[in-house]
Amino acid sequence: MITLNVNGKEHQVDVDADTPLLWVLRDELKLTGSKFSCGIGVCGACTVLMNGQPIRSCVLPVSAVAAGATLVTIEGLSPDRSHRVQKAWLEESVPQCGYCQSGMILSAVALLDRIAHPTDTDIDTAMTNLCRCGTYDGVRKAIHKAAKSPKL
Amino acid sequence: MSNTKSPIVGLNSRRDFLKTSVFVGSGLMLSLVLPRGTARAAQSASPRSPSGFIHIGSDDVITIVAPAVEMGQGGHTAMCQMIMEELSGDWAKLRVEDAPADPLYNNPMINMQITAGSFAVRGWYPELRRIGAAAREMLVQAAALQWGVPVVECSAEQSIVTHQASGRALRYGALADAAGKLPSPATPALKEVAAFTVIGHSPKRLDVPPKLDGSALFGIDVDLPGMVYAAIRGAPTLTGKLKSFDDSAAKSQAGYVATVVLDDALIVVATSYWRAKKALEAVTTEWEKGKLGGMDSARVSQLLRSGFAETGTVARNDGDVESARANGAMTLEAVYEVPYLAHACMEPMNCTARVSADAAEVWCGTQAPQAAQAAAAAALGLQKEQVTVHSMYLGGGFGRRGQADYVGQAASAAKAVGRPVKLIWSREEDLSHDYYRPAAAIRFRASLDAAGALTSLESNVVSASAPDFSRPGPPFYTGGVWDTTYSYSIPNFRVTGLNKDFGVRFGFWRAVNDSHNPFMLEGFIDEIAHHLQRDPYAYRRSLLQHQEAHRHLAVLDLLAEKSGWHKPRKGRHLGMAVFPSFGSVIGSVAEISMQGKAVTLHRVVTVIDCGVAVHPENILAQLRGGLVFGLSAVLRGEITLLDGAVSEQNFSDYPILTIAEMPVVDCHIVPSTAAPGGIGEPGTGPIAPALANAIYAATGTRIRTLPLAKLGYTFAASRNRA
Ligand code: FES
Ligand code: FES
Repeated sequence: MITLNVNGKEHQVDVDADTPLLWVLRDELKLTGSKFSCGIGVCGACTVLMNGQPIRSCVLPVSAVAAGATLVTIEGLSPDRSHRVQKAWLEESVPQCGYCQSGMILSAVALLDRIAHPTDTDIDTAMTNLCRCGTYDGVRKAIHKAAKSPKL
Repeated sequence: MSNTKSPIVGLNSRRDFLKTSVFVGSGLMLSLVLPRGTARAAQSASPRSPSGFIHIGSDDVITIVAPAVEMGQGGHTAMCQMIMEELSGDWAKLRVEDAPADPLYNNPMINMQITAGSFAVRGWYPELRRIGAAAREMLVQAAALQWGVPVVECSAEQSIVTHQASGRALRYGALADAAGKLPSPATPALKEVAAFTVIGHSPKRLDVPPKLDGSALFGIDVDLPGMVYAAIRGAPTLTGKLKSFDDSAAKSQAGYVATVVLDDALIVVATSYWRAKKALEAVTTEWEKGKLGGMDSARVSQLLRSGFAETGTVARNDGDVESARANGAMTLEAVYEVPYLAHACMEPMNCTARVSADAAEVWCGTQAPQAAQAAAAAALGLQKEQVTVHSMYLGGGFGRRGQADYVGQAASAAKAVGRPVKLIWSREEDLSHDYYRPAAAIRFRASLDAAGALTSLESNVVSASAPDFSRPGPPFYTGGVWDTTYSYSIPNFRVTGLNKDFGVRFGFWRAVNDSHNPFMLEGFIDEIAHHLQRDPYAYRRSLLQHQEAHRHLAVLDLLAEKSGWHKPRKGRHLGMAVFPSFGSVIGSVAEISMQGKAVTLHRVVTVIDCGVAVHPENILAQLRGGLVFGLSAVLRGEITLLDGAVSEQNFSDYPILTIAEMPVVDCHIVPSTAAPGGIGEPGTGPIAPALANAIYAATGTRIRTLPLAKLGYTFAASRNRA
């Protein structure tokens, strides 16, 4: 049994120790907002926050999640899409297919926590998530917009 | 809203919808019960009635059954806009559902239920408006009957019918029951374009909110009671067959359920996806290579080019190219070539299937619900009608999800294990078992007279594994070349097409032929212009002096204006391309600077005439998205074959554009009241020729093959506009 703190709740999961966190979130906890795409840590579709840091959950064995670590997935970002990043994303209509967007949003949240007013270069460096639909302009605009609204 | 979370089973289920409808029994919803068999096919002819498209509940909620799926291209919203415009419904009360697999939802333009080819808005624009208008007239008539007043004295707005003279008003929800019993008018009155309040505006896309909190459900998110998981390994060569395998090591692994053997693939089913993947890794397999064995990319290129010596199918033959060439003062010749490409949708192929003795259900993202239905039926030995398809959000389509290979596989696995199965392809499977944009080459030969006039152009198109649709007319893959004189006037004009089928599976890839033919043709037109020492803009203009080219010309002129074509900034070089694409006309200018082989892209200006712009905000998003798709291919896109197998396995060796490489993009839409053109695909094509022509302008080096990385170029985007 492994204990995970996800979105403010404790969960006991009974899985093989080498199972990547992504599959535990998706298949055991039914938190399917985190996506599988490359499985090798390149694309960022599986990004979740661990102690506030963006991590690629497809390459992190669940047994390597430190005891007491807090995990936040897209489902736990806010109860009602009211996080400033979600609001900015809505205003800019960022998503196209949407598949990369949970990871994009969580990466943006982590960036804004670290740098209150990121420059374009900060965005280029931090936002390594891939988007096949090409929503990059919207992502950039929404991050700048969110940076202007107060952090709740 | 469709595809959002809560009921885990039967999510977004058409069947549940019908059931509820029949039981609640109010209004237009009753007509949603579809007739069976032949009556159904008859119903798919225009004009269709609102049956099956619009449901208005007594609670005023308007549910629209969208005949186009949502893959991020805005299909759901555009379908709703066309109906809601004419229905005069309240947008705030709108819900959308995906259509089931049914000929009723065949796109009127192509008579197929497929969301592809930028056909959705083009094909449905007249029909969905008519359907919305018919429903509105039925609602108005129901109110007029109830009040005993003439129909002409009543009007409808925002889901309310009003009788001005008496001040009476009724909500659509209160009228739907009676309206549903009235006959549907075949030729309802349609609004003038100038009166539109929904089309041409940009209501918030319906699929955006659920994509912000993880509640949007994609195929990969489906969860059924008792479900097990499957991982798959396809034959390394695309023509390969399974010869033998040994799964004894897999069988002892925790959670192993079964091995399912297909002709060209092997599937392992287990109690979790991770376990299925690990158990599959423990299986050893031997494969026959089939026809593709020994084939590699260098050989593909060689065979393509050897095709110029063969006689192709004549796609077009105006005038007399041979004698024009013989009499010309000068001839120019060039060969262009592009490699195979993969779709690489962010969501890898997947499908969930539940099978019983005489029925099956499949859940997946698909661009072609009837193809998914047919694939499952064929795999299971069932009739199509016994298979229910639940369409989910697509994590990218780009043409890949018009194929239903993964649906048949999931159905086979579910049947073999007697439990619901979710099959998920790895990224490696997804890239190496795609249906590929074919490699292709064109040899151009042009002749000029002593005054420099273009007297003839011959284009020999050779495509690797393109489809030869058995239909009359020019070969499919010569599209964008044979039809080019609808834009450029060339007196003697010949196009041939030759299809070399090596066994690589053909796929419709975003922009299809327009992902490569404009790169080649617009590159060669640029070559002629430079040869004549003419400005590429002015030269194109000179070829467009005829009536059929007026849209083309307008796009070209606006492009020159918006890009500052006549006054490039210091140290900057511009390249241009413009061409008709999927019923629209599109053009781009790339603005670059260069140091050695390092390309810096400062700006891309794109202009499109797409007729009526149904959702301008989304059109701009599609143009930017298309550019990213096209630019990824230009820079590094290449699928290579080695002994018949695809080498590229993941985003690490099939890289796509990153945010840091996203150029500044200015997009402009030419105002128009003409019927809508396509929008999903046109944006992909122009960057290749625009960028290649800019590199020529900067360096005098002509780019005739892609990707640029293979030619030694490096790339950066600059957001510094000065
Ligand atoms: S799925 Fe984890 S980084 Fe791509
Ligand atoms: S929105 Fe489709 S991959 Fe990013």
